[in-house]
Amino acid sequence: MRRRSRLAFAACAVAAGLTLAACSSGGGTSSTGSSSGGSSASGSNAAFNAGVTKVVNPSTKKGGTLTFALSSTPDSFDPGNTYYAWTFDMTRLWATPLVTYKSCPGACGNTLVPGIATSLGTVSDNGLVWTYHLKPGLKFEDGTPVTSADVKYAVERTYDRSVLANGPTYFSVLLANPKYPGPYKDKTGNQTSITTPDASTIQFHLQSPFPDFNYVASLPQTAPVPPSKDTGSNYQLHPLSTGPYMFQSYQVNKQATLVPNPNWTPNEDPQVSQLASKVVINLNVNAADLDNRLLAGDVDIDAQGIGVQAATRAKILSNPSLEKDADASPGNREWFTYINTKVAPLNNVACRQAVEYAANKTDLQTAWGGPYAGGQIATTLLLPGMGGYTSFDQYNAKTDPTGDLTAAKAALAKCGHPTGFTVGASYRSDRPAEVAAVQALQAALARVGIQLQLHGYPSGTYYTDFAGSPNYVHQHNLGVLMGGWSPDWPDGYGMMDELINGNTIAPSGNTNIGELNDPTINGLFAQAANPSITDAQRNAIYGEIDKDAMAQAVILPNVYATNLLYRNPAVTNVYTMTPFGMYNYGVMGVSS
Amino acid sequence: MAGGVIIILLILVALIGPHLVQNPNAYNSNLINPTFSRPYGPWGGISLAHPLGVEPVNGRDMLARVVVGAQYSLLIGFLATVLAVVIGVFFGIIAGYFGGWIDAVIARAMDVFLAFPLLVFAIALIGVIPNTAFGLSGNQLRVSLLVFVIGFFAWPYMGRIIRGQVLSLREREFVDAARSIGARGPYILFRELLPNLVAPILVYSTLLIPTNILFEAALDYLGVGLIPPTPSWGQMLSNAVSNGFYYIDPMYMIIPGVAIFITVMAFNLFGDGLRDALDPRGH
Repeated sequence: MRRRSRLAFAACAVAAGLTLAACSSGGGTSSTGSSSGGSSASGSNAAFNAGVTKVVNPSTKKGGTLTFALSSTPDSFDPGNTYYAWTFDMTRLWATPLVTYKSCPGACGNTLVPGIATSLGTVSDNGLVWTYHLKPGLKFEDGTPVTSADVKYAVERTYDRSVLANGPTYFSVLLANPKYPGPYKDKTGNQTSITTPDASTIQFHLQSPFPDFNYVASLPQTAPVPPSKDTGSNYQLHPLSTGPYMFQSYQVNKQATLVPNPNWTPNEDPQVSQLASKVVINLNVNAADLDNRLLAGDVDIDAQGIGVQAATRAKILSNPSLEKDADASPGNREWFTYINTKVAPLNNVACRQAVEYAANKTDLQTAWGGPYAGGQIATTLLLPGMGGYTSFDQYNAKTDPTGDLTAAKAALAKCGHPTGFTVGASYRSDRPAEVAAVQALQAALARVGIQLQLHGYPSGTYYTDFAGSPNYVHQHNLGVLMGGWSPDWPDGYGMMDELINGNTIAPSGNTNIGELNDPTINGLFAQAANPSITDAQRNAIYGEIDKDAMAQAVILPNVYATNLLYRNPAVTNVYTMTPFGMYNYGVMGVSS
Repeated sequence: MAGGVIIILLILVALIGPHLVQNPNAYNSNLINPTFSRPYGPWGGISLAHPLGVEPVNGRDMLARVVVGAQYSLLIGFLATVLAVVIGVFFGIIAGYFGGWIDAVIARAMDVFLAFPLLVFAIALIGVIPNTAFGLSGNQLRVSLLVFVIGFFAWPYMGRIIRGQVLSLREREFVDAARSIGARGPYILFRELLPNLVAPILVYSTLLIPTNILFEAALDYLGVGLIPPTPSWGQMLSNAVSNGFYYIDPMYMIIPGVAIFITVMAFNLFGDGLRDALDPRGH
């Protein structure tokens, strides 16, 4: 089977520290669709957590300035060169991909719908050719018509990592002709794996069947880029808009100002809207200052979407008048602990299960930030709302959240270490929550005699040199390794393939850190890749993989992450979407 | 005097305290409000069972962590000072007594050490040393490294003072007398000169200790100190700042801060007093 590029993940993990994600919908998600916009309702329906399940302040009022701010900077505003969850969300304002997520609250947003394509992609019988047709009448902001050649070029340019180094690498990995160097180096245009039979049709030719390809087509990388306007890495200064807004000005690392795109109509992408008459994105704002300005109303939304600082959390949650304008949004991420299957004595499944039973899930949750800023206690690999997710609790994490010590001792006896054992534990020492979590785990496991020796590493090289290097892990006896995962798209493949599929084990940048290479699970992944089965069947397989992996005790789920977000009461049409793990930036307006 | 009394108390606390307090690594999560990550009750959860309150997030007893942290702070402060004093006195005497090119070489070496960007070097060095090296591992290795880095780079301060003292001592009559009856270098250095240097050595080592304790706290603060969950004053401060706990639980920052303040001030007062007593002309 093919292997997804690890480089993108590692680079992203380094830069974002917290967030990588892209999304698309998983089939099989039942959706109760409330659509974007909505009628202009009178009065506010703001309440704590209201934005997680419904649209807060629905309105169709136009005008006003919508102000975003964030404490860092984007990797790029170029849709072809970005890999953060918040930029995947934000770039929809100026770059519409072939396929996009349905704009509706919560897990309903996991559903894929057409973007500039007329429908989701159709696949050939052999599973190798995916075809998309463009909607008629699409235009760039300057009025030039959009053709399939612009989409082809947009994807081709992402092949050249020396120019566009940040984006995901699914296209170059999945498509035939993976050695193509990109249009900057290869002027002949002989990229044969993307074809454009006519000006409104584009076809992608794959090396091997990949049923999740519609998710790949939902990456911002498929948003059209006209070759004549491409300026390589500088294209982010003014990406030519196909969405509701276009760049008026952009001072790198400081501020971007967007204004409505006159050549955009709601038909082009009904999932986004054009309510505010101006959108401002302030960059590099001091984090504490940003929170204060957010509460004061100077800033409407913290664009990064990873939640407020601890001090602000205390202010919000202890003050009902602030709390009603906050949401504990599911973060499209799980924090967990890998349990390595090769390091003795954890190569015995009973010893791994002892770790699962003995962990104190409540203390872990508190370490990650508590129920609102940290997350809900997790018991599965799949996130709630994903296709195939079923709620099960193999290790009594919910019935006995402080740890089932009786079962843990029984498991220890079964694995031949009734008094416990000593093993190394790795964590990223520059991440305070992870430091707190590994200490909570250490204290909890010590209750049954499992002693963890802590080894802290810098997060920048955690996946390349330490936890992600099986050799290093074996040499240093690291049996318990802290980690986390944000799927690039919300289905079982995006969530679990890199974590537990045996053929993803790599000598460096490894993300199957538990080194699980289980024939049953590998076989189920192979079945799920079969192009001829339905999405429902596929999701059923993912549910089965989840159960098998938990039985193997290769990952100790800690929490389904949540982000405590604050919305300015003046902002309209506010709600969070599962695939982004934050507010939907595509549909917001301001009421004053 | 007051400084001396506090120091004796501190040493007693560091030696005996850890046996009296509760387990500094025991979690008391029932004392923590998980929504805010902070202890229930005012003043960081101060109660009879936890006289200084508990840590946010995990509810570990603050008194126990401060006391055990004192042990590490003082241990590292003392050992690093001993290392600095031994190296400093040795090279200081040699440079001062022999003069000439030996003096020039040692004095320039001191200049180099004093001009060294020590903090940056320490962070880099401790950051790249693996968890197991030189036959040591874990906290033993970390303590040794901290002692080495702090002590090895503090010796020139001591060395310069000793060199200055020796420059004046070597012209005195008792040194001439020893030389005239045929005493050789080492004898003069360590039998004649060293006993006359006890006073400045004592005074300046006492003043070096608080500097070293502060430096250790700084390294801990910057994340290159002891390995969690080992208690350390610097790490408590760092944790309070980096997680924003100073806002929701100020006691978590105040308590280790006060501990460092008292310790450093006690040693400084004691050192000043010692200087007044032993070396009246030093003022």
